[in-house]
Amino acid sequence: MILPFDLILVLFVYICAVAALTTRDLLSAVMILGAYSYFMCLLWTEMAAVDVAFTEASVSAGIGTILCIGAISKTKRRSND
Amino acid sequence: MKFLSLITVLLVGVALVYGTLGMPRWGDPNSPAATHVSPYYLEHSMHDTATPNVVTSVLADYRGYDTLGETSVIFTAGMSCILLLRKRRKHKEEDHV
Amino acid sequence: MFDYIISYYNYWMYAGLMMIGFYGMMAKRNLIKKIIGMNVFQSSIIFFYISSSVKRGGVTVPIIKHVAGAHGSHGVDVMQYANPLPHVLMLTAIVVMVATLGVALAVAILIYRRYHTLEEDEIILCMRKG
Repeated sequence: MILPFDLILVLFVYICAVAALTTRDLLSAVMILGAYSYFMCLLWTEMAAVDVAFTEASVSAGIGTILCIGAISKTKRRSND
Repeated sequence: MKFLSLITVLLVGVALVYGTLGMPRWGDPNSPAATHVSPYYLEHSMHDTATPNVVTSVLADYRGYDTLGETSVIFTAGMSCILLLRKRRKHKEEDHV
Repeated sequence: MFDYIISYYNYWMYAGLMMIGFYGMMAKRNLIKKIIGMNVFQSSIIFFYISSSVKRGGVTVPIIKHVAGAHGSHGVDVMQYANPLPHVLMLTAIVVMVATLGVALAVAILIYRRYHTLEEDEIILCMRKG
């Protein structure tokens, strides 16, 4: 556990969370959510939880983003807020 | 509406920060989460299951029923997705009211 | 004071992430935005559990490197390795999180097929009209 690295990663996680919730284009919001999952994965590698980082990178950032893109392709891309 | 939800979120945040005042310090090796059962797993994993990776041995061996329940959750989620999203040909009038 | 902040800031970090996700779930009107907020909320709880498994002072990942003696505590120094139990529980939680995401997106697609919109206020207007 390295303190400056931890603080920088947490800052990126916060920026990605706020950007994913405020973007009006839903496809870019989902892409930013994938970036959020990858920063979470880096944060957990840094906290010595490598198995959780594997699972996050494959399941949450991979399959979750694919599911969201499929849902958006079936529905609308624009959002009002 | 946004103002009301902002007030609720701030109240929840204050309650959470107040709740963390009694938590153990971060990274304390003698915290309650690190003292009861996890030293047993770390010490006996190599002898009991011959697996160097403790996370794998706990996931598949010591707590296998937990993983079985997780698999049943995944199966239920997949089945419900298929049942929700299939095309219904006969009752087409009821779908588009 | 600085020592106090160093010892407790991870709890404040997870509280802030949980507040962001909760605000997204309540105040955003788009259904996909609500689902994204739910994802952030669940990630913050997983962050809290994983950060409770960290031990200070040169810990490594919980993979046993070498075993010297096979008696007593089997030659393993517990203080060298991180706590493996929250990792196992959160492996389960991540997979369940993706299953929840899939079912929520399926329900959102059904709502779009019926009302042809994803905004919550327009859906409520359509429900009141008929």
